Order: sequence, then C-alpha cells, then structure tokens
Amino acid sequence: MTSKFDTLSEADIARIGQLVEALDKSGFDYLTLELADFRITVGTGAAVPDGVAAAPPSPAAPVAAKAPVSAAPQATAPAAGAAPAPAAEPVEEGLVDVVATTMGRFYSRPDPKSDPFVTVGSEVTPESSVGLIEVMKLFNAVTAGVTGTVAQICVEDAQFVEYGQVLCRIRPSA
Amino acid sequence: MTIRRVFIANRGEIAVRIIRACQGLGIESVLAVSEADRDSLGARIADRAVCVGPASATESYLIAKNMVAAAVGTDCDALHPGYGFLAESPDLAQLCADNGVTFVGPSPEQIRRMGNKIEARRLAEEFDIPTLPGSTRVGSYEEASAVVAETGLPVMIKAAAGGGGKGMRIVTGTGQLRDEFARAASEAGAAFGDSTLYVEKFIANARHVEVQVLADSHGNVIHLGERDCSLQRRHQKMVEEAPAPNLPEALRDKIREAAVRLASRFGYRNAGTVEFILDQDEGRFYFLEMNTRIQVEHPVTEMITGIDLVEEQFRVAAGKTLRFAQDDIVFRGHAIECRVNAEMPEEGFRPSPGRISVWQPPQAPYIRLDSHCHEGYLVPMFYDSMIAKLIVYGTDRAEAIDRMTRAIDRFHIEGPATTLAFQKRLICEPAFRDGTMNTGLVDRMLAGNREGKQP
Repeated sequence: MTSKFDTLSEADIARIGQLVEALDKSGFDYLTLELADFRITVGTGAAVPDGVAAAPPSPAAPVAAKAPVSAAPQATAPAAGAAPAPAAEPVEEGLVDVVATTMGRFYSRPDPKSDPFVTVGSEVTPESSVGLIEVMKLFNAVTAGVTGTVAQICVEDAQFVEYGQVLCRIRPSA
Repeated sequence: MTIRRVFIANRGEIAVRIIRACQGLGIESVLAVSEADRDSLGARIADRAVCVGPASATESYLIAKNMVAAAVGTDCDALHPGYGFLAESPDLAQLCADNGVTFVGPSPEQIRRMGNKIEARRLAEEFDIPTLPGSTRVGSYEEASAVVAETGLPVMIKAAAGGGGKGMRIVTGTGQLRDEFARAASEAGAAFGDSTLYVEKFIANARHVEVQVLADSHGNVIHLGERDCSLQRRHQKMVEEAPAPNLPEALRDKIREAAVRLASRFGYRNAGTVEFILDQDEGRFYFLEMNTRIQVEHPVTEMITGIDLVEEQFRVAAGKTLRFAQDDIVFRGHAIECRVNAEMPEEGFRPSPGRISVWQPPQAPYIRLDSHCHEGYLVPMFYDSMIAKLIVYGTDRAEAIDRMTRAIDRFHIEGPATTLAFQKRLICEPAFRDGTMNTGLVDRMLAGNREGKQP
C-alpha cells in the first residue's frame, strides 16, 4: 500500500478491524473513511464505484535502477531524486502484483544459459519461481504466490530492484 | 581517489545532514530508505532513494549486507554510516572493504577494538591515559566486593555488555552492595543476555567532557576542541555545548592532548570522539570510551571552529591529507545544542510519535536547525524520537544561553509533544548558567518534580 499505510500503529489496525465488524453488521456494501490525508475503503466484495476506491498502491520509489544518477551537478539532481514513482503503464484490472521480498539484483533465469523462469503467458502456481534476487551472493527465490498466467514482466534481468518493487503481474485463474 | 557517489546508510536528520554535505562537495547521494521513510525529506533531497526493506529497522537499516549490496547495486563508490544503526559495526566496514566501497570512517579493526570496552581501556592505559579505578568485570558478589575494597565507595555497577543506562546502579553503602549487585545483574541479563557487570569508582561531582578529533590516513591527527555533555537523563544526552565551560586552561589542554595522543598512537583515521569523565572536585579526568563515528552533537564544534566535520570526513576517507594543522584551528564564541525529542517529559519521557501539524522553527542569524521534519510529516514510531537539533551560537556562553532560551520560545511545534520546554528549564537552572552543573543535574530536577516542588 502507500507509505502512509506502512505507519499504521497496532491501535490503528485494531480500529480498522472494528470498522470491518461494524460494516459487517450493517446493510452497506462498503464504507469509506476519509481523514486529512488518509483514506480507507472497506467493502464486502461488491465492486466499489470508480473514483471512490482507494488510490492504487504507489510503486516503489524510483525504479529506474540501472540508469546512473545524473552526473551533472545539482541543477538536475531533484529530478533524479526520490520523486514520485514514474508513471507506470496502466494496470489491467484484477492482476496480482508479485513484489520483491528483499532489495537486491533480480535474475530472471536460474543461470545465464537457461531460459527465464517465466515469460508473458507462462502458467504459474503459487510455488512457481518467477525469478531470483541476489544479495551478497545469496540467492532468494521469488514465488508467484497465486495460480494464473503471467500478464506482465516489469523488470529486466540483472536489474537492481528495491524492496517492494513490482517484478511481474499475474492474471489469476478464475 | 575521488568519491563520486555516496550511499547513505541512515535516516532522519543525519541523513539530511550528510546529503547536504554531499551537495556542498558535488558528490551524488543515494539514500537507503525503509518503507516508512520513502516519503522523507532525505528521500526527497537525495539524488536517489532506494527502498531497502520494511519499516522495522532490524529488517532494513540494520542489515549490513543489504546496505552494501544496495551501495554496489547503485554504483556508489563510498558509504557513509551516520551515527547509530550500523555506524559502529565492524562487519559493515569490512563488507564495504570486501566490495570495493570506501567506508567513510575508520578501519573495521579500529571499530572492533574501540567497540570492546575492555580492549579500549587497555589501549588507553597503554598510552598513559588515566582510566577509572575499578572497571573490572565481575561475575559474582564476592568479586564485586573485592573490587570495592580497593576503590572505596561510592561505586557504579553497570552492565558489561550494554549502554543506555540499563543495569546501572550506584552503591554508596557497603550494606547495599549485595542487593544492588543482584538487581543490576538481573537487569543486565534481561536487557543484554549477559549479566556480567563492571564495578568502578563513582564520581559524584562529574562532568561529561569529550574531545573531537580528526585524523587522516597519513598520520596527521588534530583536535577540534571539546564539548560538554553533562546534561543527561539516564545517560542520554539532552543539551551539549562547546567549549566546555569553567575548565581550568591547563586541564583543558591536558584533556585535549590526551585525546590526540590516543587517536594518534592508535593510528586512528577519520572523525572520532574521545569521551572523558571529569571529576570536578579533584580536577582529574578519566577515559570513558572512544566513538568511532560522527556524533549527534558535532554541530556545536562546527559552530565554534567553522569546520564542516562531515565534509572533512569525506575528504579524509578519499585519502586526502588534512587541510588544517592544529595551529590553524581557531576557537571562537560558544555554541549550545538541544536535542529535540518527540517525548512527553511529564510522562516519564514516553515517546510521542504522530503527525506534525505545525512546524515553525525560529529563524535568525546564529540559529541552526538540523532536522528532517516539516509540517505534515508523520514522526514514525519505529525509530528513535529525535526530531531536530536546535543549535545556537553566541559570542560568549551567556549570550548563547539567552539566544537558546528565546529560540525555544519561538519554536512552535504542534502534533507530537516535545522536550523543548523541559530543555529551556534546564538551561535556565542556576547551576547550568554558572557552568557548575554536573551529570546528576537532570535527574535531580526530575526527582524534585516528583516531590511536587519546582527546582
């Protein structure tokens, strides 16, 4: 979710739990609570009308990993800084994000001579590996976590990825 | 060797401070951020921010191999650790060395040796620097009793493994030793998993005086004067100043010289701080420890010397020779710093995280604010509670105190509770104004509060 969501306290989470319970007992489909700069929508499964839904999670801070930071001095610096994430291509409804579980270097294939773990169109199960992330020679497999078809691959082989960065998106099987 | 792009393995005000030093030197900055800090001021002003893990520091800022992997992954040629987190981790410095990243600090070996209290004390003794009588490890009441027989009372008992005041007790009467020893051992065991204790002479009228040293990799070592950090609550500093007030000049010179001797004989490199405890009644000083990193309170030294310590850290890390000889250092005026914490003094300094709705710092010549906060910023609950360092400069100490008092009055913060009003009371205490305070002042004031009287 957005970074604001990451700073919820235990108490906040407990209060959200109470909201869910309250909604459950009511006859409403969804409930949107909006505070100064925080909005939460709780629903019972029925689609929430457009424009009411909570903002989509903002992708990890700057993603253009390999692109070297501008060598030019300060004038260009702010642009290269922790600006809002680059405008992502429109995300198709219902896709499931597979995100980096650690920061490190992403490898799309088990070794340089092999085929990639997955390509667009690959069928995956929750246990299927979609790639490896290497931190200091330690390789961590990233699994799909869901059954479905790979719809998008968002990072390149050997790219440095951040924690939480979207690696690929999967269209779950019905 | 030149440093072109630096990775900053820290957060909060010191991350901002380091980024600004990079900007001054034309070095690019890449900042490590946890998920909770993606939106931070540091992340905004750095050339790039890299999310290294979730909010919890143990899963982000405290993982040395991730920090170095991120530095390598973003093509950084140097890493600055700031203070806290991994700043005194020999493993981080070693990993940097193994991966061709210049660590902005001393060697892994130097961090390891000074980080070990027993080894540090042994080194100080080897270089003829006085250490506190006692200071031996004790595992039982009988051993403690034997040490007390030599040093005399009062003594301080403290955890061998830790800091931050946990497992620390002061024993003034022989009858208390057995009970206090048992309590300190159990507290130390619970806090650090090691119930070994130190017993050392307790100095009732003590001040905390520390010397800033700066050393290059060519054997040049200078000091940038001393700081007095006697206003501490449970061994956490609250107010710091430079130079130390009310110090006989001969004693001041001896303390500074001892610090330079330690750093020099040790072959130290980069910025460091040698901490001493000063016995005001006896006019003697004893070595406490050496911190092998930049310190929170470094700005007061910068204010009275005009030297940017973080910039100099980068210069010496890049292998450059110090730009100053000792005689080039000129001390001028007086500086005071208050560490502004988001805490509630009236509730035992309980942390008070939350959103800052109003943030109006005082602005004037001779006021410096080192902070990562701004209006709308959410002070996260995951990290320490320091939200700013308010620093003032005056031509003399009295002027600096007056300026600080007025600066605090004009600092308008709403949202989290802060320690500022308490710090204003501290610096207005007659003992502080006179420069005759000691390390017990804060606790005495708080004890006075509990008894319902305004000290």
